[in-house]
Formats: sequence, C-alpha cells, structure tokens
Amino acid sequence: MDFFVVSLQAAFQLLLSLDAEVLTAVWTSLYTSAAAIVLAAGIGVPVGTALGMGRFPGRRAALTFLNTLMALPTVVVGLILYGFFSRQGPLGTWGLLFTPLAMIAGQMVLAIPIVANYTVAAVAGADPRILTTALTLGAGPLRAAWQLLLEVRFGVMAAVVAGFGRVIAEVGVAMMLGGNIRGYTRTMTTAIALETSKGEFAFGLALGLVLMAVALVVNFFLNLLQQR
Amino acid sequence: MAPILSLRNVELRRGTDFILNIERLDFRVGGFYLLVGPNGAGKSTLLQFLGMLLPPERGRLFFDGTEVRGAVMRQRLRRQITLVEQAPFLFDASVYDNIAFGLRLRGVRGDLQRRRVKTAMDMLGLQGFEKRPAKALSGGEIRRVALARAMVLRPRALLLDEPTAGLDQSILPVFEGCLKSLRDDGVTILISTHDAAQVRRLSGELLGLEGGRLVAPESSPISRLHIA
Repeated sequence: MDFFVVSLQAAFQLLLSLDAEVLTAVWTSLYTSAAAIVLAAGIGVPVGTALGMGRFPGRRAALTFLNTLMALPTVVVGLILYGFFSRQGPLGTWGLLFTPLAMIAGQMVLAIPIVANYTVAAVAGADPRILTTALTLGAGPLRAAWQLLLEVRFGVMAAVVAGFGRVIAEVGVAMMLGGNIRGYTRTMTTAIALETSKGEFAFGLALGLVLMAVALVVNFFLNLLQQR
Repeated sequence: MAPILSLRNVELRRGTDFILNIERLDFRVGGFYLLVGPNGAGKSTLLQFLGMLLPPERGRLFFDGTEVRGAVMRQRLRRQITLVEQAPFLFDASVYDNIAFGLRLRGVRGDLQRRRVKTAMDMLGLQGFEKRPAKALSGGEIRRVALARAMVLRPRALLLDEPTAGLDQSILPVFEGCLKSLRDDGVTILISTHDAAQVRRLSGELLGLEGGRLVAPESSPISRLHIA
C-alpha cells in the first residue's frame, strides 16, 4: 500500500511542478487528438447524415460496415496504416511514419466510424417534419440537410465528443504510427506504457491522472449533450 | 389564363392501394378551395403532392400550364407554393428566426425582412413574440407562427392542412381574416378541413376526396352531415 501512496505523492509532485516531460506528453495527446477529431467530424458527420437521412441501395450494408469498424482494435488500425506509411508501403514516400501526422491520420480513421454512427442515430431519430418543413419553405436538399443537422446539433456534438474520448485514450495507433518518440510523438498513453515498463510508476501515474481527468471532462460533456 | 395547378391522371399508391387517383383537377389563379373528406381520404397526400414534396408515380402535374418534371423543377416551384402541414414543425430558434427562415433563403434581408416579418406577425396577433423560443409556444401559437412563416413568403399558392384543428376558438376570426386577406391579394388557397362550420364561413369552392378519388362534395360525409 505504501508503494501506491508514495507513487501517488510523487505523481502529484510531478504534476504540480509542471514537469516538462509530462506537459509535452499531455500537449502531444491533446493536439493530435483534437486535429484527428476535427478531420473525422469533417468526414463522419456528412457520412452519418447521408446514411441517417437517405433510403438507398447498400445503406444497410454501409451501416453494418460502420458498426464493424467501431469494434476494430486500435492496434489493427495502426498495423494497417503502418503498412501504408512504411517505406515499402504505397505512401512510404510521404515520410509520415513516426510523425504526429501519421498519428493524426490513424486516430482519424478510428474516430470516423464513431462520429458517423452517433450522427446516424441522431439524424435517424430526428423529427421527419424538419426536412419537409425546410423544403416547403424553399430550401434545397443540402440546405434542408443542414437545417436537420442544426436541429440535432446536440446529438452531433455528442458524436464528436465520443470520438474525441476514443482517440485520446487509445494507445495502439499512437504507438505503432508515432513510435513513442520522446518530445515528439510521445502521448500520455504511450508514455504510461513505456515509463511503467521502465519502473517509473509515479510518472505513469501522473499521466494516468491527467488522462482520467480528460476522460471525466469528456464524459461530463457527453452526458450533458445527451440529455439535451 | 392557365390554371395555376392542374392534375391529369395522377396516381400514387401505397402497396396495391391507391392513396391518390385523380383523373382531372384544376386550380385557377386566385381560387379559394376547401378540401373535405374523411380521415384517410388522401387529403394530406394531395396537399403534399401539390406542394411538390411527392413526385407522381403516374400522371402529370402542371404549374401555370407547364408540366412539372424532375426534382430540380419541383425544388424551384416550392418557392412559389407553400404548404403548412397539419402539425406544423417550428425550428429550434426564436419566433422571428422561424418566420424569417424562408425570406433568408430568398435573399430578403435587413429592413425589408424585418418589415415583412412584422406585418405577418401583426396580422396573426403575434406582437411581442419575436424573441420567444419556438419550443416554448402552445399548440395554437405554433399554428399561428407557421401560418405567419408561410404568409410572409407571399406564395402564389398556399396549401393548408387542417390549419384550425385544435386551435383556440378565440383565434379563429384572426386566422380566417388572414386567409380572406390573402385571397383578396390573389393567392390561390387550398385548405383541407373537417370543420363544417368553417366550410360555411369561408364559402370557398368545395372539393370532396374519398379513397384518394375526387367525389362530388355533397357526397362527402362532412358535407352530407353539415353543409347541405
């Protein structure tokens, strides 16, 4: 028990002293996840809207595919993209492997199905009169779809927050595509894994506390949005 | 002068049942029509069809003597025909923003927009409602805002699906006064109604609908009971 108490004290000291290495890992996690979720929203929200609104051949198959992607292990996404970004891979010449950009790409792939699926749920559950009202007042199909999204905005925000929660807590993609390079691609999760294996339990615990705080904030907002 | 709207051999089905089967129907410019018929007669479907929200499965629809073909043309014509549905939907915004919605789509902004919204609100007794959230309105207030939102667009044809069902009796004279004023301005109006007293008061041209087919108005149950 002493071990835990001593480690916890050391973890708080690291946090309170604004340890540079801790802060760098926190910053890397936050900015890569934020960039990934912005890009994922740019793709996932329109895809989710189209699938939620439309009745077209292949829709059911597309929904099943999206659901399957949600359960995809992060390490598998990391592995597949590693194949793309490695020197021999089709995108090897871009030199992205072990850079924050590769991590952002991987996290974006992880977040898209979550954002899209939550958006589908929000759009499909919306009042069907929203579209007919917008259309009869003179809106075109795209403007009517935009109005629908405005009406279910809290559901869409919940989709984005849920996606962010998924990517900031993942370790597989960050490890495989970022390479856990100190001060460059080391995130909170990869740092926890590495430092703990080196015996730096207090360091891992400090980052774990930050990660838990982020998870708490994310879930707080998610609950708040889902109640609207 | 060509009728504003004409139907020729129009058919719409749900499964094997006709929900609309009309050989010939013309609406003259500036006409005032009352559509009567029992529940499930196809009144709402006819209004949605005339409001360019439903394409015909068979038959032809003409607007101003020109055949309506394709989604793009229907979208363009929706700017001249406005439908107020039986249970109108107000967007999650203020009363003003709801009423100004269609005007903004038509590029009407600034003072002109404010004047037109104010005129419509005054006509329907909605003074002081501008900033109220639409979601906080009562059923009668929602109907009045929905009518104001349609009136403000000055459509060439206004389609109203049971506009006074459940409306406070004290509001009826205001509501019907607005309809008469629109009729005087040359707007073609088609109202579906169950209210026999309203049919007598508004003294429009009666159209009977039963099982999706036009019937002599006097044979419609509502007419048999209350009008003759």
